[in-house]
Amino acid sequence: MTVNKPIFRGTFAIVLVFSVSACNERASYDSGAQAGSNPPLPAAKSFFAPPMQVPKRVGWQNGAVPKVADGLKIEAIASGLTHPRQVYGLPNGDILVAESSSPEAEPLTSPKQFIAGLVSSRSGKSAKGANRITLVHKRTDNGVWEKHVFIDNLHSPFGMQLIGDTLYVADTDAILKFPYKTGETRITAAGVELADLPDRINHHWTKALLASPDGKKLYVGVGSNSNITENGLDVEYRRANVLEVDTETGASRIYAAGIRNPTGLQWEPKTGKLWAVANERDEIGADLVPDYITSVQDHGFYGWPYSYYGQHVDSRVKPQRPDLVAKALKPDYAIGSHVAPLGMVFYTGINLPTQYRGGAFIGEHGSWDRSPLSGYAVTYVAFDNGRPVGAPKPVVTGFTSADQKMLYGAPVGLAQAQDGALIIADDVGNVVWRVTK
Amino acid sequence: MIPKPFIYRSKPATAAFDLLNPIPYGLFVGTLIFDLIYASNADVLWAKGAAWLVTIGLLFAIIPRLINFGHVWFGPSGGVGGSEKIDFLLNLLGIVFAIANAFIHSRDAYGIVPMNVVLSVLTVFCLSLGQTVLAVHKFGLKGNDRE
Repeated sequence: MTVNKPIFRGTFAIVLVFSVSACNERASYDSGAQAGSNPPLPAAKSFFAPPMQVPKRVGWQNGAVPKVADGLKIEAIASGLTHPRQVYGLPNGDILVAESSSPEAEPLTSPKQFIAGLVSSRSGKSAKGANRITLVHKRTDNGVWEKHVFIDNLHSPFGMQLIGDTLYVADTDAILKFPYKTGETRITAAGVELADLPDRINHHWTKALLASPDGKKLYVGVGSNSNITENGLDVEYRRANVLEVDTETGASRIYAAGIRNPTGLQWEPKTGKLWAVANERDEIGADLVPDYITSVQDHGFYGWPYSYYGQHVDSRVKPQRPDLVAKALKPDYAIGSHVAPLGMVFYTGINLPTQYRGGAFIGEHGSWDRSPLSGYAVTYVAFDNGRPVGAPKPVVTGFTSADQKMLYGAPVGLAQAQDGALIIADDVGNVVWRVTK
Repeated sequence: MIPKPFIYRSKPATAAFDLLNPIPYGLFVGTLIFDLIYASNADVLWAKGAAWLVTIGLLFAIIPRLINFGHVWFGPSGGVGGSEKIDFLLNLLGIVFAIANAFIHSRDAYGIVPMNVVLSVLTVFCLSLGQTVLAVHKFGLKGNDRE
């Protein structure tokens, strides 16, 4: 059998090479080290299999709560919810909670999608939502927070904005208008469609919403239909952008493009500029690509899918577009790789200590494509003269177990309540948290 | 030297092997064709098709490869020729390449190129060579001269 020895050796060598290359690399930077306006960007890597680390959902047990930074308190104002994804503070102090999840409209088109779906479902982040908005109200007589089903039978709702007496709700496929009266706890009127939204596949399904100060426009965050165009470029029509919708006519245009998954749309209080938080692409390294917050310029292009952080070309995209790469804007401020930010709020209240005023709280849903985990926290980025300064500070933590195997909760959407409390949607713990001083 | 004819012990196992063994080969050839098309036109339809072909090919390969493993290494003493051992090892190598290729196809979009084409070519080459070795073995067998 001497003739077969080279084949044996060759087979063994190939198995060994692939086994070694299959090992997941560990991150070299923590989120803080990759924060700021000039994050270090290592070279892109390609992997034998997508690196995955997914903690298992256990929820908050025996009255456990997240940890908060010194000087802060946290309480649950609603629990037992069905996948609370976004929160919104009404002027009378009531809190709206969108209990929502993906419409599950993405067809199964690859074996990877099937297997990755099985692994990532461990975390509970993709559990089914109730497709409704719940109103959380604090009773004046006994101070108890109570829940009311506010609007039912929605279609993966996320963004909520009140303009005058009209409540705008961004379902995954349309913006709906509802009449709102202060203090009411249920809207029975059917929603009237203002504008349709891109709703094919809905790989990234959330549609963030922000009204202009004069109430004439709505800005909508529309995520991409893929990680990096693996579903084809044609399904990315009007995706990965911020749309501007006229509230009078429903007419829309692309305000800014090339932002892979923009949410947390906010007006920066000092400059009045539009800001967004964005999830960047996966599977080219534990330290790539840092997620970011950025001011969003009218007609700006921010790179996706062709490049990241300006002119760093992503070779997975074909055909490439050097013309678009050349004009890609660099985001303002990195917040670390794979932290998965899905909520942001500029804090303009006075309830929280002074060090939290004027900057942005960020809800980091947490990583799956990285070891060790990153995100799973609410962080705070200070702003000075309309620009972020310093490193993000963790404010609310303790969502994972110390060994990173168990997941108690995961912060998503954020809001500032009328009284200045910070409100956090937790779609793994199924809780809405309220942070005060 | 005149090669000996192959000896088979189990009719059901031989039938199952003959029925199932061509399926992965066909699917791997399909994977190669789809990978070549994707490398050329970058239309993700072909990449996703190739990912399914190589995955399903591997699933269909499990039973015939196990049967062949038993036949070649645990068959009757003296009943298995060197060509069958070479064929077994070439198939093993081909399956290793196909498994690697299935993982490569888990990358997104054009990130699979060119490794998808390289591994598809190697897979089909190994399986084709094994089949050729067996075919060549048939020539010179006693009885073949009757035809």
